[in-house]
Amino acid sequence: MSGKMNRRSFLKVMGWSGAGVALTGCDMPTTVTLEEGKEEVVSYLMPEEYVIPGVGVWYASTCTQCAAGCGIHGRVREGRVLKLEGNPDAAVNNGKLCMMGQAGVQGHYNPDRITSPMMRTGGSLTPISWDKALGVLEEKLGAVNGDRFAWFTGSISGHQSVLLTNHLDAMGSTNHYAHEVVNNAVSRAVNQDMLGEANPRLRLDKAKMIVSFGADFMGAGQSPVQYAGQYAKFRTNKERGLLVQIESKMSLTGGSADLWLAIKPGTEAVLALGMANLLLNKIKISDAGIPADVRTLINTYDVTTVARITGLAGDRIQRVTQLLSERTPSLVLAGAGVEGQAQGYATTAAIMMLNHILGNVGKTIESAGDFPFPQLMAKQGGTADLVAFAEAAKAKKLDAVIFHGSNPVYSAPKSLGLTEALANIGFKVAISQFPDETAMAADLVLPMDSYLEDWGTQVPADQAETNAIHVQQPLMEKLNAETKGLGDILLTLLKQRKKDEYGQFEDYYAYLRNAFAAMPTSVKNDAKSNDEFWNTALQTGVIKVDSGTKTLQSTVVSFAAPVVDDSAGLTLLPSPRLGLFDGRHANLPWLQEAPDQISKVVWDSWVEMHPDTAAKMGIGNLDLVEVSSAQGSVKLRVVLLKGMHADAVAIPLGQGHEAYGRYAKGLGVNPLQILDATTDAKTGELAMYSTRVTVKRIGPADSLSIVRMGTGAGDSQVGRKLVVTVPVEQVRRTEGT
Amino acid sequence: MVVKNRLINPGAGFARAGLAGMVFLVMLLMSSMAMAVKYDVVPPSGTHTGEDVPQPIEFPHDIHVKDNDINCMYCHTYARRSNVAGIPPTSKCMGCHKVIATDKPRIQQLTKYWEDKEPPPWKKVHDLPDFVHFTHEKHLKTLAFDREFPVENVKEICAFCHGDVENMTVANKVKPLNMGFCVNCHIANKDLGAPGDCWKCHK
Repeated sequence: MSGKMNRRSFLKVMGWSGAGVALTGCDMPTTVTLEEGKEEVVSYLMPEEYVIPGVGVWYASTCTQCAAGCGIHGRVREGRVLKLEGNPDAAVNNGKLCMMGQAGVQGHYNPDRITSPMMRTGGSLTPISWDKALGVLEEKLGAVNGDRFAWFTGSISGHQSVLLTNHLDAMGSTNHYAHEVVNNAVSRAVNQDMLGEANPRLRLDKAKMIVSFGADFMGAGQSPVQYAGQYAKFRTNKERGLLVQIESKMSLTGGSADLWLAIKPGTEAVLALGMANLLLNKIKISDAGIPADVRTLINTYDVTTVARITGLAGDRIQRVTQLLSERTPSLVLAGAGVEGQAQGYATTAAIMMLNHILGNVGKTIESAGDFPFPQLMAKQGGTADLVAFAEAAKAKKLDAVIFHGSNPVYSAPKSLGLTEALANIGFKVAISQFPDETAMAADLVLPMDSYLEDWGTQVPADQAETNAIHVQQPLMEKLNAETKGLGDILLTLLKQRKKDEYGQFEDYYAYLRNAFAAMPTSVKNDAKSNDEFWNTALQTGVIKVDSGTKTLQSTVVSFAAPVVDDSAGLTLLPSPRLGLFDGRHANLPWLQEAPDQISKVVWDSWVEMHPDTAAKMGIGNLDLVEVSSAQGSVKLRVVLLKGMHADAVAIPLGQGHEAYGRYAKGLGVNPLQILDATTDAKTGELAMYSTRVTVKRIGPADSLSIVRMGTGAGDSQVGRKLVVTVPVEQVRRTEGT
Repeated sequence: MVVKNRLINPGAGFARAGLAGMVFLVMLLMSSMAMAVKYDVVPPSGTHTGEDVPQPIEFPHDIHVKDNDINCMYCHTYARRSNVAGIPPTSKCMGCHKVIATDKPRIQQLTKYWEDKEPPPWKKVHDLPDFVHFTHEKHLKTLAFDREFPVENVKEICAFCHGDVENMTVANKVKPLNMGFCVNCHIANKDLGAPGDCWKCHK
């Protein structure tokens, strides 16, 4: 259709072809009408006493839209879940819910859900019965050698994780690959080495100043609702907290900062060492506990050197460091852009060392205690497992794999060669709600319940003040008779291997009842019976777990000296955002429709560039460009953004799906595909933020794209002043020049 | 819509339904000491010739309301509690018809549905578009309870919008229930507090 279509010509077209379109193109059920006698109004057979048609009842459950595990309340009316909100009893999100959680109903009611098991026959997936699917599973998994079998999942916790581990045991395998694109695996490794705890409790609310090296804790972080809540307290404390964000691409968190500093990508370690130098040598904070080699390393980074390498003004570095030493306790955080560098571990360690020097450990970084149920704790994913899985597949070390909760075919860089290597795995099973890229590459697809139909327990990795197990219960009957819950599928798989042990459980519900009954009295509070404990757990959605108090011991580990890569080209930042996240929410129209928080673009991909960089290359706003790395290239439009470092370009994650249903498929591009397969030497995590790219203009701005791209206050609001803006000069809160 | 929520133990509520009904009837009798009606209401005007709507069971409103003097709100019990008046649950029908008129074909039809654990697929007669916020609860509060209107005569209030149901078998739409019908009545009764703001109905 041409760009000239206006309302009148649209109506004209509707005039002669609209009738046919209305009949054939509309999948609205014909029973929705005001006509008398067409729509059915079926009563309850025998309602519960509290059920009133038209009046909602709220049930507690747990969100699984990301790995944070927030507690939710779902409003259920006439047997349908209609609205989700945060559960005030869940300390993690304290009654709040982010937009990804709100959009959960769109995943549940999504028209592209898989509704029956499918098996690959003659090259394509065809529907089969569950009996047949389970028969195939029993036969194939029975024949496979234990160490040649693997589970490939996202982050997983709770009793599902226990069953998964037990299934691996029953298979005689130890291969569990946990993969998350948006992860904090490097920080966990650093925390483990320096604090003895991978997930200490961060207390942003207790800090008087936060210096964040690219940690988008309010956006695409590990527990965005929790940290946004803490941030609100941080800002409203008697002494208002000061946030300094240092990154190469402005994130949602960066947009809220008091001072936003654009740093040359890959030089964050240098800045951290330079700040340590100032703290130790100029401000004379004690260097106790810092190893001699690190102390020597720190001494080599004086302010002049640091300013030259990082591109930041020396006096500004001094000022921020001075403030950090005065506003105690403070908190220094490292984010994905830092962790995902070729020297991710060293850089993150250099940054976390600042917390040691500033004495923040024990004040704004607390111990999360000893969680009494280690088997339920989250097995958190990273990208090292993706790399290891690709290697194992390439080396033909695997014969059978079950995928769940992760979409590696979409999110693995082409340079890993995963898609080709999958051909080496004879039997690939995908337990999935949607026909995503991985399910489409599988040999057997098992349709999964939505999280609003399923039982489960989730243990948040980033626990709030009170440690807790979050309970997930079905908010309504299944929409599709043929889908099954993850727990039920796991239990069925276990029954195939260990009938004597798991045959006693009719379903996952029975298993959970049994597991809850076996919980120690310490978590049952005053419940007089197992039934009472179970009912209370369902009612509140939260089981509080006392993990005792523990003191963190802060040590500084030795780490490698920073290596600044001065090679030509721009650094590609594949930036995740709260919304589409790592691409898992690209099939939810609400989140496609929600504009990117910084660029305001909807339903598309784009590349963000600094205006100066673009001007040098003769590139204008909305021009079509080709972004090329050594691994390949993508074509997309440019959005000029001053919230970028001149040496970096950012392509938001989430689009570029080749499958995944009608809303996601065919929109935009996937920057993950063109990443180098470089890994951090210490942790094996993919260095997702270190790929160099070149940008070439290949075409002018196109009118159709502008329609989709509501960039800023101009065209998208059509003069309606929905969001009123003022020039940045008027509200400039940044200091200096 | 049928709900068999797994959290809930089905079968809990039924035994009490019959008893609760009897208590309610007794209360109705007691309240028949008519009180003075506090304010006057101007009923809405307008008629509509509705289509005949065949129902799975030809439910006789006349036998229930006119012959046996059962209050509308006994069966449509949600009217004073919710936006919708609701179709009575099948268990409520069976509360009486386990013993009453069991020889009649329509009751045998009902019993069959009950035994098959399937509520009859009633057809909707009165409906409003989704962009209209209408609440039975608020209308009953204002038109009946706040006016101290004798509750045994509530069918007169219901008739404002649903017509002379006590003389119908299955219900027929006899009032237009369009915007003019609503607005004219709201204007005529504005002294009673009938709101005139657009957003009261179009939220």
